[in-house]
Amino acid sequence: MATEAAPMDEKAKRMRDLLSSFYAPDPSISTSGSSISASFDNINSTSFDADQYMDLMIKKSNLEVLLQRHVQMAAEIKNLDTDLQMLVYENYNKFISATDTIKRMKSNIFGMEGNMDQLLHKIMSVQSRSDGVNTSLFEKREHIEKLHRTRNLLRKVQFIYDLPARLQKCIKSETYGDAVRFYIGAMPILKVYGDTSFQDCRRASEEAIEIIIKNLQTKLFSDSESIQARAEAAVLLKQLDVPVDSLKDKLLEKLEQSLDGLQIKPEEASLLAEHNDSSNDAESNEQLPAKIHEDAVRGFSEAMRAYREIFPDSEERLFKLAKALTAMHFENLELYIRKRVSAADFLRIFRIIWEDVILMDEVLPEAELSDLSAEAAQVTVKKFVARTFSHLQQDISDTILKFDINQKEAVEEEVLKVVLEASKKAGIQGTTDIFQDFRQLLDENIGIFVKMKDLIIGWIQNGFQDFFRSLEAQFLALSGKTSSSKDIEGGLVEGKSSDKIHAGLILVLAQLSVFVEQKVIPRVSEEIAASFSGGNSQAFENGPAFIPGELCRVFHAASEKLLQHYIDTRTQKISVLLRKRFKTPNWVKHKEPREVHMYVDMFLHELEEVGKEVKQVLPQGTFRKHKRTDSNGSNTTTSSRSNTLHNDKMTRSNSQRARSQLFETHLAKLFKQKVEIFTKVEFTQESVVTTTVKLCLKSLQEYVRLQTFNRSGFQQIQLDIQFLKAPLKETVEDEAAIDFLLDEVIVAASERCLDVIPLEPPILDKLIQAKLAKSKEHNNNNNNTVSS
Amino acid sequence: MQGGSSGIGYGLKYQARCISDVKADTDYTSFLTGTLSLKEENEVHLLRLSSGGSELICEGLFSHPNEIWDLASCPFDQRIFSTVFSTGESFGAAIWQIPELYGQLNSPQLERVASLDALVGKINCVLWWPSGRCDKLISMDEQNIFLWNLDCSKKSAEVISKDSAGMLHSLSGGAWNPHDVNAVAATGESSVQFWDLRTMKKVNSIEHAHVRGVDYNPKREHILITAEDESGIHVWDLRKAKVPVQELPGHTHWTWAVKCNPEYDGLILSAGTDSAVNLWYASASSSDEKPSQSPVESIRQRVNPLLNSYTDYEDSVYGLAWSSREPWVFASLSYDGRVVIESVKPFLPRI
Repeated sequence: MATEAAPMDEKAKRMRDLLSSFYAPDPSISTSGSSISASFDNINSTSFDADQYMDLMIKKSNLEVLLQRHVQMAAEIKNLDTDLQMLVYENYNKFISATDTIKRMKSNIFGMEGNMDQLLHKIMSVQSRSDGVNTSLFEKREHIEKLHRTRNLLRKVQFIYDLPARLQKCIKSETYGDAVRFYIGAMPILKVYGDTSFQDCRRASEEAIEIIIKNLQTKLFSDSESIQARAEAAVLLKQLDVPVDSLKDKLLEKLEQSLDGLQIKPEEASLLAEHNDSSNDAESNEQLPAKIHEDAVRGFSEAMRAYREIFPDSEERLFKLAKALTAMHFENLELYIRKRVSAADFLRIFRIIWEDVILMDEVLPEAELSDLSAEAAQVTVKKFVARTFSHLQQDISDTILKFDINQKEAVEEEVLKVVLEASKKAGIQGTTDIFQDFRQLLDENIGIFVKMKDLIIGWIQNGFQDFFRSLEAQFLALSGKTSSSKDIEGGLVEGKSSDKIHAGLILVLAQLSVFVEQKVIPRVSEEIAASFSGGNSQAFENGPAFIPGELCRVFHAASEKLLQHYIDTRTQKISVLLRKRFKTPNWVKHKEPREVHMYVDMFLHELEEVGKEVKQVLPQGTFRKHKRTDSNGSNTTTSSRSNTLHNDKMTRSNSQRARSQLFETHLAKLFKQKVEIFTKVEFTQESVVTTTVKLCLKSLQEYVRLQTFNRSGFQQIQLDIQFLKAPLKETVEDEAAIDFLLDEVIVAASERCLDVIPLEPPILDKLIQAKLAKSKEHNNNNNNTVSS
Repeated sequence: MQGGSSGIGYGLKYQARCISDVKADTDYTSFLTGTLSLKEENEVHLLRLSSGGSELICEGLFSHPNEIWDLASCPFDQRIFSTVFSTGESFGAAIWQIPELYGQLNSPQLERVASLDALVGKINCVLWWPSGRCDKLISMDEQNIFLWNLDCSKKSAEVISKDSAGMLHSLSGGAWNPHDVNAVAATGESSVQFWDLRTMKKVNSIEHAHVRGVDYNPKREHILITAEDESGIHVWDLRKAKVPVQELPGHTHWTWAVKCNPEYDGLILSAGTDSAVNLWYASASSSDEKPSQSPVESIRQRVNPLLNSYTDYEDSVYGLAWSSREPWVFASLSYDGRVVIESVKPFLPRI
């Protein structure tokens, strides 16, 4: 397009550009050759090509349209012609009027030259006259000026001679400001001529100034003077070039020293709190510590205010001081709450500190004390909350560990029960107290506490969450059932303490966990819902706050774990017993059984202990009760029946075929009862005892399986098991499973026996009776010794 | 957990305690097992998992003179294995070779390569050199540990060295360290003891009572796993053997045997007298990497290590062996003589 436009006349092109830029709002449309089709039609565009346009026209239109177009164009041309004529005419008119105006201007200027000459002449004469006056007055004026200068000089000399007297006068009237002004005014002269003409004068005035400086300094240091006066003194001293900074330092140091006096030391804090307590009833003649402290702080803040005005440039240091005081306060508070402190005491101290902070904040608003202390307060309150929880935890564990349990006591006296009750109480009491404390915290209406309310609630909720978690961890740690990763560093110590801990205590811990799960946590969550809800928005973002469901789960798991651990430790003990029993003798060369072996006694004794412990701590199962009434009546019959049943089996097992048959029946039995052997432990006395017995019998079976017996060895086992049957059934709820397990032991022994010939039932009976009689006698003896 | 009977079963005639993976058999997944019967004639069964993995075929049945208390297959020759046996009154150990022509005989006799009869006390187990072709063996009885040199061609075995553990520690079993062929762990009455075979002296011990089973982690040096009567399974780091690295709950009753998977690190199998086999995943690394975490947190974060519990057994499970050829397959043997082969494949993606 550009090449086509090139041959166009330069001037015409410019014209067209101008016109188009005038008419078109957006010149870029017309000038840019972006839209070719548009530019052909557009007669106003620069790229308009008449020939092309014609071509297009002829191609596009028929004759009629062309004609029409022709007529239209002719009309347009005519219109343009008339417009052009009009424009020419108007321009011409304007040109004529312009010529007229120029003509008039020419005629007016004519004649001005004469007036101007006249004016110049007059000005010249005025000038010559003023020169004449000036020269005639010159001499007089010079003389006057000289006189004036001499007078000034004389006045100055006079002033300097008067200076000492004047200064003395000022000292007397204590108008130090004037004195300093005078002295400073005289300074330049004294400096120049002080050593020659005005020596005396200078000395006298310097002496006077010395006095003034001294006076000013005393004034500055005296606390009785008004701040205004002291500030003025400081300014004057500065004017006199006395080193003020050292003075300032001294003053500030003094202030710093006074800080120590303002500390609320942890020891004093309790006093402070106590005295505050009694301030209502005892209007004692002595000043109360709180009052003293308040006054001291007030004095301190006054001093700060003063110094601030006196030394405006010392703000930084004052800020530092104020911050130090606040920090110190909070540090001391932290120290204070390291001991056990009730919320009330804590609040009292906190209030005192807060008042101090407010006082200082008034004096030094720029120091941003309130921000600083708000932060510190948050930290402190948070620590307080955390500490309260840790105290509670300490309390509970102390209660648990307070009782030095040894084996005998645990069984004989009801120590376990006492421990359980005590720790339950500690738990409930502790949480109640803790809630009371926290409620006080929330009720506090110091500004900062209102602001922190949400935060505090968050902390409390978090605190409870953490508390319960660590309590659970502690329970587990106490029980000696430590998870491995936990105590790599303290492994040895842990190992020792786990030996020490009494098995009964594990049971107590288990029951305690149940108690926490069922009583304490619901209580706490109720309380939280009642008075510590809200505050969610911020607190929950950071971490999970109090989630009772989760905690319940945790404690549920812990209680089960602990119970299991109790059973484990108990069975372990019995297991050691059994292991010794089976490892020591040579079973292949066993002698004929004479009596029931004594390990049975020990086994039963252990079980008895378990029973006693369990009875102290765990509730009785409801299920057991009616079963017992059932079996009580028919106790003898059942046992005899099972005896006969058993004997029956044994006689059958004489032959090999019968033995395998027996084996098959037991396999069948196994199918039915397999599930029942290891049932879930419940928190009842019976369940725990039963589980223990079951596990022990299973262990017994396993030990038997590892040995090989001769006939007598087998008979010994048979005898022992037969003897165990009756007492075990008495203690245990699941008789069928016990029966089965006892039979299993016999079966295992018969399988591992080289020569299975069971004892004849009469002999069996006789030996058992003998044992029973012996143990009875033994008991009687024991009782006798105890009574005698 | 679910006790799905997905396993492949095989019944032995009598009660049995031990099963071993035939490591040297590279063509098939096979196991050796031996019966424990005081009065009947005992048998050794060579079992092979069919290629489809759906059937357990008895590839060979050999009579063995006495009841078998322990059985271990030779790691380099599939036809050789060791047994520990008892006549009821005395114990013995021997190396056996499966006869070449066993396919044709009805109940062929095993060929006794050598008997390890320097033993005096109640012998407990025979260990083979952990990997590769080496003719060293270890046997343990209650008080002594012996290192043997086996010569298959001469059909003899000689004691190279021995050491006594003392009367108080009655040894019950052991494991040969696959990472350090000079180290052997033995379980005793009150501790796990470690021997250095070069000096044949005890070098270290973990004081931990009633350990039944012990196994080295083949994938990770210094990691040892023990199974105890009452207190479950413990994972130890031998460099700091005071406290276990990890503790797994184990079984309702005793945990009898424990085996590390030869291929998948952290996969542990345990057999218990509560008639169950449990599959665990113990990532010992987790506690190594984050010691800073508070214990409570780390306990909570740890997922349940128990992957599955196979409960389809009717008696205590004593025998347990991973297949080294197909490391997701294991064989278990309950006392009533039932061999069950299971695949742990469904649990692998979760690791």
